[in-house]
Amino acid sequence: MEFVSAIFLIFVAIVCVIYFAFPKKHRWVVLLIASYLFYWFNSTYLAAVLAGMTVVTWLTGLMIEKTSDKASEYFKEHQAQMTESERKSYKNSVTQKKKRILLLGVLIDLGVLLFFKYHNFFLGNAASLLGLFGIPMKDYRFDLLLPLGISFYTLQAIAYMVDIYRKKYRADRRFFRFALFMSYFPQIVQGPIARYHKLAEQIYQEHSFDFTRLKFGCQLILWGFMKKLILADRLGILVDTIFDNYTDYRGGILFLGAIGFGLQTYADFSGGMEIARGVSQIFGIELEINFKQPYFAKSIEEFWRRWHITLGTWMKDYIFYPLSLSKRFANLSKKARKLFGNYIGKKLPSFLAMFLVYFLVGFWHGSSWKYVVYGVWNGIIITSGILLAPVYQKGIALFHVKEDSYGWKFFQMVRTFLLCSLGRFFSRAGSCMIAFSMIRNMFLYPRTWEFFDGTLLTLGLDAKDLTVLAAMIILLLLVDIAHERGVKIRESIASQGFIFRWLIYWTAFYLVVIFGMYGPAYDSSSFIYQQF
Amino acid sequence: METLYKILEEARADVDFRNQTGKLIDDGILDSFDIIAIIGEINEAFGIDISVDELLPENFNSPEAMMALIEKLQKEV
Repeated sequence: MEFVSAIFLIFVAIVCVIYFAFPKKHRWVVLLIASYLFYWFNSTYLAAVLAGMTVVTWLTGLMIEKTSDKASEYFKEHQAQMTESERKSYKNSVTQKKKRILLLGVLIDLGVLLFFKYHNFFLGNAASLLGLFGIPMKDYRFDLLLPLGISFYTLQAIAYMVDIYRKKYRADRRFFRFALFMSYFPQIVQGPIARYHKLAEQIYQEHSFDFTRLKFGCQLILWGFMKKLILADRLGILVDTIFDNYTDYRGGILFLGAIGFGLQTYADFSGGMEIARGVSQIFGIELEINFKQPYFAKSIEEFWRRWHITLGTWMKDYIFYPLSLSKRFANLSKKARKLFGNYIGKKLPSFLAMFLVYFLVGFWHGSSWKYVVYGVWNGIIITSGILLAPVYQKGIALFHVKEDSYGWKFFQMVRTFLLCSLGRFFSRAGSCMIAFSMIRNMFLYPRTWEFFDGTLLTLGLDAKDLTVLAAMIILLLLVDIAHERGVKIRESIASQGFIFRWLIYWTAFYLVVIFGMYGPAYDSSSFIYQQF
Repeated sequence: METLYKILEEARADVDFRNQTGKLIDDGILDSFDIIAIIGEINEAFGIDISVDELLPENFNSPEAMMALIEKLQKEV
């Protein structure tokens, strides 16, 4: 059952009716059953994987908390009689014990993800590595169905266990309620990656029916459909034509492919998020915002703070800071400062942690080296930006650049957009080598005239489609500008007169019906991030 | 407290932490890289684990605030 399908809308409508027909106290049960049904429709027997990981995560949380509580009680009673070194060694032994339980839980959950998503990557690379030493290895690779949303709920599960370890909140004792947090259907397909303390309370709360919420939720869903069906799937045809026949194209057309893929991913992913948030809003549950107008970012670092925000904050809280704050990194920092001086030395450990984060962000996207290169490319741009900051400052002073002028800000946005688009070659091309060859051909043979000699009409879209595409991109840009300026679009529309308001709703609806891209069975294509 | 001053002065010899009146974070005296380096050393010297959730400006705006955080974490298991 795809998000963008009639059957999904019918499913949501039925769940909605049953949800509000149930007594408030038990409404969460409807969501739990609906979530598992939704999962079953999509991944059948793989629902067992989700259930299994839920049990492991839940038990790990409880065990860590039990260890923690017991130790706290003992410590409270006995710390007065303990010497300083006894206190330190007791705390150390408790931490070690908690760490072992946490590690076991994380390894099981992560192991399942690695097994399902990366088994062929590891087997393939092992064969290549052995091949280098002349040792032949049989092809053990095999195809497996990837459990829906596993890349997303594994991260949720890890965050939960680590937070219990850090005593951020108490472990959930109610298994079925916890199971709903892990499986909540609007966000299981492709996020946003939820945090327990933000989502759990909301999904268990007793929500009453609210017409404004229903209306706003439906509008958000409709906007998601517009982005996905009119923009992303249409742009997808052009992008596929260029990337599938990359040897036929040069220069500007190749760059158009990369820019197109960036925009396609944005419309596709953020459109999916809007559908998820819209559906959830109807139940009275607010999901995290995952995108904040990323293409208005003035640096790559800012871009990642605006793009897939919940993945970025996850990486920051569970990879970047724990690594940078660790004792090992502190020692490294000390040595680096002695070796390279204060400026580079103190930054080096953070850079290492940052590189690892972007390596993992890339690897998380897919089991291929091209994604790793994509991640590392972003890491290189960010670290070089920080390291070269003094040089930039000198340049800015030398050329008397006014940093708060619109011109400079616009330049920064275009620069970030271009750097981002270069990275897109790696995330979309069939392999790293293809991406490199495309980038080379783009720079060596610009062929800018191809934008005007009719080549654009040979990329799978006719003049009408290209016009619709351009109009939709402009609309998306206008909406993003409004959001950037803090305009609340749905509230603004709601405050308009009856005729104007409904004119907008019906226009949006008919635009999706008329200009949406539908496949042979009137199904749209899958979401890009659903495959990650 | 002396151990903390030593850590701070080692990380940033150019700042007079003992007579500092400004706010270390809010006034931009220490940047995020300084804080990361300092926390790593505090963790080691005081046998505690400062986690992401404690990374708030008010916990690091002065040596006294840092000491208060250290003492609070020392009392916990």
